[in-house]
Amino acid sequence: MTQAMTQEAPASRDKLSEKMSVRNLDFYYGDHKALKSVNMKFYANQVTALIGPSGCGKSTLLRVLNRMYDLYPGQRAEGEVLLDGENILDPKLDLNALRARVGMVFQKPTPFPMSIYDNIAFGIRLYEKLGKADMDERVEKALRGAAIWEEVKDKLNASGLSLSGGQQQRLCIARTVAIQPEVILFDEPASALDPISTAKVEELIDELRRDYTIAIVTHNMQQAVRVSQYTAFMYLGEMAEFGETDQIFTAPKERRTQDYITGRFG
Amino acid sequence: MVDHTVRSFDADLETLDRHISEMGGIAEKMLSDAMDALATMNIELAQKVIETDLRMDALQRTVEDLAVRTIARRQPVAIDLRDTVGVIRISADLERIGDQAKNIAKRAAKIAGEARLPRAIVGLKSMHDMAANQLKDVLDAFAQRDPDAAKAVWRRDAELDALEDAVFRDLLTFMMEDPRNITFCTHLLFCAKNLERVGDHATNIAETVYYIVTAQNLPGEERPRGYDATALA
Repeated sequence: MTQAMTQEAPASRDKLSEKMSVRNLDFYYGDHKALKSVNMKFYANQVTALIGPSGCGKSTLLRVLNRMYDLYPGQRAEGEVLLDGENILDPKLDLNALRARVGMVFQKPTPFPMSIYDNIAFGIRLYEKLGKADMDERVEKALRGAAIWEEVKDKLNASGLSLSGGQQQRLCIARTVAIQPEVILFDEPASALDPISTAKVEELIDELRRDYTIAIVTHNMQQAVRVSQYTAFMYLGEMAEFGETDQIFTAPKERRTQDYITGRFG
Repeated sequence: MVDHTVRSFDADLETLDRHISEMGGIAEKMLSDAMDALATMNIELAQKVIETDLRMDALQRTVEDLAVRTIARRQPVAIDLRDTVGVIRISADLERIGDQAKNIAKRAAKIAGEARLPRAIVGLKSMHDMAANQLKDVLDAFAQRDPDAAKAVWRRDAELDALEDAVFRDLLTFMMEDPRNITFCTHLLFCAKNLERVGDHATNIAETVYYIVTAQNLPGEERPRGYDATALA
């Protein structure tokens, strides 16, 4: 096990700064209320795992954090989500700027049908005008940051789709990192990957924590234990329990949490 | 508690529980047989206790092996994790209780030919009664996952410590009365220490049971302690 994978005790909560805070958040898919008065915090440079049974609202919550839901009609959020103190639910907010600050990595790798190089450069070009040398540097930095540079440096012109699933997912992480966000959202980033690729992605998440604030939705309890410092257990659209990962998985306070993480859900 | 979705997980945990209660039963029997052997100078019975200890060692290895496999297979968390780690600790304490009984049995066999003083054993019998009660109560507390019962056992250990102190003084008196008692009483002193250790292991088990159920530790320093007889030795 490498240094980066060893789980240090989370810094005590009062020393952490709140990168994002969710306050009394309600969310609706049309008439259906999917989130009920959710309150929680995402601490800077910490990994926060969102766990819970299917349909509990964890992916919905993740999609609120960068207003992904705005792409769909009939979906709306009420309450507050603060990013560095600024309410991102404000309708006047510049969504492109928000999504540059809050990046997202999806369950299935979604490389663009273009070269590995352009997969990274594409996003950067949306926000910045860079010369060739500067762009090369940024692409390399992003690929290194996503721990995939060594594997692709000799074939940057090959299609992103020619990579293996695990490599594609790290390419997508590189693409997210390339535009230098502050927060990265992972929606089950390893559920479609084999164990070795999963380990690589998990190690990468732990490394990314140094520079970013991270939220991850996962169905894999052990993965939540391995990668996160904080865990939020959601159930039926409510925040059932939020606390340090070590506490949630050794001594959960809520019966519902215990039943879920120990596999006793009826 | 609702059972696990994966039934064989329940079966694993039940098997661990069953092994612990088997070990507990054997430990109780070993202890009372060892005391009988000591009181009646029954070398045969003492020998039986010594042989039974092998069974305890084997059972402890079985529990550890099964617990490790359960951790590898099921990745238990929360109560299940505390339970699995807890039975490993409890099996170690029970195995040590078996060792204490074996030590008493060894001495019983050794001093069977010595001049003896029946009244010197009376205090040890009281210690055994108390230690056996502690053991029984803590095994019940484990079986019922009852933190209050565990805490009660934990508190009562001071009484056994105090009794050991009294036995220590008695034995010293017998030795001063008549130097011919010294060999016999010295052996009994060690037996008293063995019984006191049984109480300590019962207390350890009580702490483990409390932790399994509540996820809290009983306060380590605050346990009421009796006067430490060994400080005089």
